[in-house]
Amino acid sequence: MAAGLEIKGSVLKIDNLCKSYVKGKLVNDYISLSLGYGEIFGLLGPNGAGKTTLVSQIIGLAKPDSGSITIEGVDIIAKPGYTRQACSFQAQTQVPINGLTAMQAIELVGRVRGGNTQKVRSRTLELLHNLEMEEWTKKSAETFSGGMRRLVAFCMASVVPGRIVILDEPTNDIDPLRRRLLWQEVRTLVAMGSTVLLITHNVLEAERAVDRLAIIDKGKVVSMGTPASLKGNGGLNMRFEITLEPRADVPIMPESIQNTTVTGRRVIGRLRESDIASAIQWARSLKEKGLAEEYSVGPASLEDVYLKVVGHGDSPEIPDKEVNHDRIAA
Amino acid sequence: MTGLLRKYGLMLKWQALSSKTILPISLVVELVVAFGFVIGLGFLYPSISPNIAKFLTTGAPTISLLMVGLVLVPQMVADAKTEGTFDYIWSLPVPRMVYVAADATIYTLIAIPGVILSLILGAAYYHFGLHVSLLVIPAMLLIVLAGIFLGYSLAHSIAKAQITQLITQVLVFFIMIFSPIMFPAAQLPHWLADVHRFLPIEYMADLSRGTLTDLKVNMGLAFAVVGGWCLIGLVATCILVHRRR
Repeated sequence: MAAGLEIKGSVLKIDNLCKSYVKGKLVNDYISLSLGYGEIFGLLGPNGAGKTTLVSQIIGLAKPDSGSITIEGVDIIAKPGYTRQACSFQAQTQVPINGLTAMQAIELVGRVRGGNTQKVRSRTLELLHNLEMEEWTKKSAETFSGGMRRLVAFCMASVVPGRIVILDEPTNDIDPLRRRLLWQEVRTLVAMGSTVLLITHNVLEAERAVDRLAIIDKGKVVSMGTPASLKGNGGLNMRFEITLEPRADVPIMPESIQNTTVTGRRVIGRLRESDIASAIQWARSLKEKGLAEEYSVGPASLEDVYLKVVGHGDSPEIPDKEVNHDRIAA
Repeated sequence: MTGLLRKYGLMLKWQALSSKTILPISLVVELVVAFGFVIGLGFLYPSISPNIAKFLTTGAPTISLLMVGLVLVPQMVADAKTEGTFDYIWSLPVPRMVYVAADATIYTLIAIPGVILSLILGAAYYHFGLHVSLLVIPAMLLIVLAGIFLGYSLAHSIAKAQITQLITQVLVFFIMIFSPIMFPAAQLPHWLADVHRFLPIEYMADLSRGTLTDLKVNMGLAFAVVGGWCLIGLVATCILVHRRR
């Protein structure tokens, strides 16, 4: 499905979901989401945002305090058995495959999920081939690296995919080549008729992979839409970055540059395309005064949106601690 | 039903393959313990009579089966919980008790060879005869399953794996020293003997001796009490594995 298309019909609907493990401390705080048929939906957020708790409730490992979850109209809080057939799941934790070969592990899950023996065998071989894992087909999982175990876990979730395939941090520890192959397989899952729920805090990968996404922080959905609509942010679709000279104070920003954040000597903000010329003029004047080292303007990225809405920054893709410019100026 | 059996078979295969490194070691340990137990009796009682040797040897299956159920099972389940195994397995479209049944089958297969070996060795080494009844099969299965289900529910009811490990150590001590398996309950303090009237351990030993020797025991009572505890373990396991966080 192309980004930005309207979602017709929901395969998964979450409504005002609340969950706490300790009384009075909500890990999921009135979350409402809806996943359409055949889309790749990203759930982004920093560590501890409540993503895994949300998934635990979707697959029936945890029970919400209140709210509802339905899959194709079926209340899966009341019928947790239904969700286990409807969803196939790649857990964030390692799968219990010690003692099994890659092929045995994938085939066993395929058959447990009701797949025909022959079809499961051919789909297993196809996945192992497509992900360039043939070398490991008959090797015992004890010899696998963390990345290889994760790829096997992905295959286990994909061999007989559910109507919803839930992938929790699927590319952690995986090499760049196979990451690319894995994303192709995710697209294949959609072509086979599945909806994919992707949980990650890898913003760069999510931006390329998802049709729509929700950013979740401290248990709440803080932003939701297509990557393009989130980046658009009311017309503020350009990213402005200026690197200050060492020891230079953070300057007062022009009104056209908004949503600014400061990371070390980098000041990053958002602006409209129509304000590019004036912003460049302002940056050039700073450079001439010896206050700025360099500047750049380009299309906004999802990372910028993520940083802005999450604020406190806790992503492996973002090495420096983010500081809010308004607080610095104050 | 066919679907359930198919899933049971698949989970059994999964468990057997997963345990293939630990399974032979567990089996060897069980056999060595059984062998060591029989030989060790001779060190404890150098002039042991065949009748006493028979009494002691036929108590060994209960100890051996309880060690699997109340020590090995809780430790393995606690480890699996720590590794997140159950979070994954419970997400599969397999009824949870079908998985538990597959798991229980594997543990039973680990436990039984040691029992058989200790009996054969004991009878041969100490020159006594066994009067094996057909009821020995349900009796031994009931003992091992009661232990496994109680062990399973123990491990699933305790959040921290380390506490489970500690409790299993206490249980070993309690079973070996303070339970009337290798000696009559009359040798215990009255209050402890009274406690054992409600616990399954003494009745497990009765089941073992009643189906392996000509000693007279109340088999109906023994089956009823051990069966009751097996049921309690099964129900507790069922409730605990279906619990959602």
